[in-house]
Amino acid sequence: MTTTRTIRLAALLGALAVPTTTQVTAQEVAEVEVARVEITPTTLTLQVGEKAQIAATAYDADGNVLDVPFLFFSRGGRGRLAVDRSTGAIEAFKGGNFEVMVRAMAPGASGGTVTVDVPYPPLDRVEISEEGGRFYVGVTVRHKAAVLDQADDVRDLVVTWSTSDESVATVDRYGVFQAHAPGAVTLSASAEGVVGQIRYEVADNPVTTMAVEASQARGRTGDVIRVTATPSNASGATVGDIPVTFGLIADPDAIATADFPPAEIDEQGRFVAYKPGVYTVTANVPGTTAHTTVEILERLVVEEVSLVSHAPVRNVSTSDLWVWEGVDGRDYAITGTHAAHGSAYWWDVTDPANPVLTDSLVVDARTTNDVKVSEDGEICVISREGASDRRNGIVIVDCTDPRNIEIISTFDDELTGGVHNLFIYDDHVYAVNNGIRFDVINIEDPANPHRVGRFELDTPGHAIHDIWIVDGIAYTSNWGDGVAVIDVGGGDKGGSPANPVLISRFRDIGGATHAAFPYKSPTGKFYIFMGDERGAPGFDGQDRARTPDFMSGYIHIVDFTDPENPEEVARYEIPEAGSHNMWIEDDRLYAAFYQGGLRVVDISGELKGNLYHQGREIAVYKAFDPDGVVANAPFTWGPQMHKGNLFFAEYFSGMWAVKLQPRRVLIP
Amino acid sequence: MAPTLAPAVGRVPRGHGFARAFVRFAVLACLGTTMVPGGAAAQSYWIYVAAESEDEVALLRYDAGGDLTVEKTITTGWLLAEIEAPHGLAMDPGGEYWYLTLGHGFPNGRLVKYVTGADTVAGVADLGLFPATIAVPPHGTVALTVNANFHGDHIPSTVTIVDLETMFPLADVVTCTMPHGSRFNADGTRHYSACMMDNQLVEIDGATLAVTRRLDLVANEPAHAPMDGHMAMAPPDGHCSPTWTTPHPDGKRVFVPCNKGDAILEVDLEKWRVTRRIEAPGAPYNLDLTPDGTRLLATLKGSAQLGIWDVDSGELLHMIDSEMRVTHGVVATPDGRYAIVTVEGIGGDPGTVEVIEIKSGTRVASARIGKQAGGIALWKMEG
Repeated sequence: MTTTRTIRLAALLGALAVPTTTQVTAQEVAEVEVARVEITPTTLTLQVGEKAQIAATAYDADGNVLDVPFLFFSRGGRGRLAVDRSTGAIEAFKGGNFEVMVRAMAPGASGGTVTVDVPYPPLDRVEISEEGGRFYVGVTVRHKAAVLDQADDVRDLVVTWSTSDESVATVDRYGVFQAHAPGAVTLSASAEGVVGQIRYEVADNPVTTMAVEASQARGRTGDVIRVTATPSNASGATVGDIPVTFGLIADPDAIATADFPPAEIDEQGRFVAYKPGVYTVTANVPGTTAHTTVEILERLVVEEVSLVSHAPVRNVSTSDLWVWEGVDGRDYAITGTHAAHGSAYWWDVTDPANPVLTDSLVVDARTTNDVKVSEDGEICVISREGASDRRNGIVIVDCTDPRNIEIISTFDDELTGGVHNLFIYDDHVYAVNNGIRFDVINIEDPANPHRVGRFELDTPGHAIHDIWIVDGIAYTSNWGDGVAVIDVGGGDKGGSPANPVLISRFRDIGGATHAAFPYKSPTGKFYIFMGDERGAPGFDGQDRARTPDFMSGYIHIVDFTDPENPEEVARYEIPEAGSHNMWIEDDRLYAAFYQGGLRVVDISGELKGNLYHQGREIAVYKAFDPDGVVANAPFTWGPQMHKGNLFFAEYFSGMWAVKLQPRRVLIP
Repeated sequence: MAPTLAPAVGRVPRGHGFARAFVRFAVLACLGTTMVPGGAAAQSYWIYVAAESEDEVALLRYDAGGDLTVEKTITTGWLLAEIEAPHGLAMDPGGEYWYLTLGHGFPNGRLVKYVTGADTVAGVADLGLFPATIAVPPHGTVALTVNANFHGDHIPSTVTIVDLETMFPLADVVTCTMPHGSRFNADGTRHYSACMMDNQLVEIDGATLAVTRRLDLVANEPAHAPMDGHMAMAPPDGHCSPTWTTPHPDGKRVFVPCNKGDAILEVDLEKWRVTRRIEAPGAPYNLDLTPDGTRLLATLKGSAQLGIWDVDSGELLHMIDSEMRVTHGVVATPDGRYAIVTVEGIGGDPGTVEVIEIKSGTRVASARIGKQAGGIALWKMEG
């Protein structure tokens, strides 16, 4: 055993014995050890716009000055206090208290901290959220205020609210403004002597009657019933500029202690119930209330699931699948593999109860995450990740005869970092480059693929994970940037494969968009289902061979009927698992939910709220395989409905098929 | 489980990194002149190795003359269902921490700080696109990670500078296209990296952390800016495509492998020119030098070999076949006795770690770990 002290002694002796050139002598080694760092100043006050210089000096144990470089930075200063990292020059742009870290770039005492106080500049203005105008007696509206200083910095200050005439209107400490009598009134929000104001002309409330109407008197849980309220004046004219608030009197058939709310209604009068019962919706304007009552029945959509088959893959993890009708009229499936040895498998599923492995392919990769088939069933394309030469890209395969598949070509130019997902549409492959963009590759001549276009968002730190195309519109899943809708030939923005054009983008709450699936509902609504991918980090050290992963996150449902004004209206969130890939067909959502298995959800009608609580779940199937990569661990990756059979990929056990059928009711 | 460890050679308190680095150099220079390899006291060497396609890091121990053993497997990454590609590894000079780059993120990769031995996460910093190798200077204040951006865009990338105490990313310094091989010189005053797509060696000042010089390795003349756009193309065979940098401990030269040129270049730092070309057929990839600076080690990715050269004469001393294909990383042990090599494997092959005795050029031990063994860092030598 050798101690540090003896090492250093040995080192010095060794250094003296080294015959080759060394730049540092033993004496220098001792000198370069920093014993103390002196920083001036240690506290500093700067006005916005002022500059200053921080100086640091290093000393050795004998008090000698050392020629040591320093590093200066401020973690909280970005955009507010500029710090030159090598000179220590600073400049204040906005107010606040900052710490500038000073690091000696040498061993020993590492440095210190300078406290910089930048007094906030005088306040400039207070901005109120509303514009003012006409207001009716009795109406109550909350206002908000933003306080900004002369550096355009939004300040966190207490705002004091007041009105110019409390006989006309009053306001509380939260900005809730209520009119009491006709007249002109000024609403003021003040902070440290700076005042923001808007002016209202308060008029008598003209409403004398109100009609309220529900779009249906009886419905099922999950149905969106639209309640319309029409306030009118004495002459029968509609008063359109008075806010109407809705309320609920709920009488559910049954409710447990601390249960979730049995129903909800929003400010637009969209009502949805989670539990059967009788619900009275009230519509209110000051002095006038009207109501309507609806009866809600159980949704009763549950169906039975029967296992059709299991095509086991038990030596490696299975990733995506695609099922299609081949050129010979038989039905086939292809499955990829994940974190494995670069294989993909072809299956004959013409008899879905007896899938037959017809061929396989091993490419230079660890993951063949995505597998897709052209519309004519002739070309299969496989994504590659983990190629030994780091030239990943895609593999284009002739799958005209799935018993004798053959590689036609590969394409990896500028797709070297790996292709994680792809889509084939109209003789083009849209390949996600595992990072920030998708490339469009023309495969009209599959032996000579060539890039014709690419698309990348322009948001800071943008990323992309997946792509799906319907009718010439691409839907990309972009993690924190949500879903992007892109014209690749089917939109009215002039887009094409060579020139994809962004139509719209929507960022959901949470920002973990992993998969997106568009759906044109028979209601006329156009929804995009945006699936999260979230999960426990791998830092916990659990043994993956024994413990399956645990994922979370949910499906956000966004009404994209007006692409300029998309609205997140509903979710499908189950408490015990997270979403992965999905498929939608005939008003049914088929969703893979990792450890939550395969979920089938009724998405008929308009959607609102959390579908999970609305009795919309048609079926749940969890595929347990005692001989899986991890035994008895459902981890559903992706589903696809094909000719009445629901195929799905299971990460730990291969491909499965189930069939749904109406529930048989026992007759006593 | 990691055993309770005896004080290790070279382990000194944090903040003594420079002294430690010098100590290592000096000790080994001494040992190199007095100790007969094979006759030394039994030593144990502890190594961290990243398995890029498994999202794992393995901690291995090699007992001189005995077995190479996987002591521990450390899972990593934010999403277990996605491969996040742990790539580069580096040790804190004081040995308290080790650092790991994760290549894939959303979209940027990350630098993760682990407590050595306990292997728990102590901090995280955001980096750029597909960060690869990490360099920590002897004083241990910062890390410089090259954002290799393997995604294929031929655009200049960056080196991210991270304050290691706070894990705060201080700056992204633009270097060139697909930078790789991040390394400091022995005293931490200069940092070097090479760019695979535009054949540049880039020097960053260790004090100002700004680019000071560029060298076009093909034209053998200074360059003044990164190539950009279509200028930066994958070099055809016969050119360079540098994949690593290894400064010599004498402070006068840097070795750079030309992965597509089958050669290792010696760059004279005073002249700032390539002054020697050592033939290295088989696509040299990563390099290391024995601490006394006498032996040059190179993984040969194409031929699945490790080459060992005499630095002074340029003579090839040994060419050792790897057990598997795609040799990747190499590190010389502090006593100069062994080269520890990572081998990626292909497809479903396991990753392999091999121990090569440098003097005899023979493989003395190997072990299998997760797929695509790549980044390697030697934690300590004890005994």
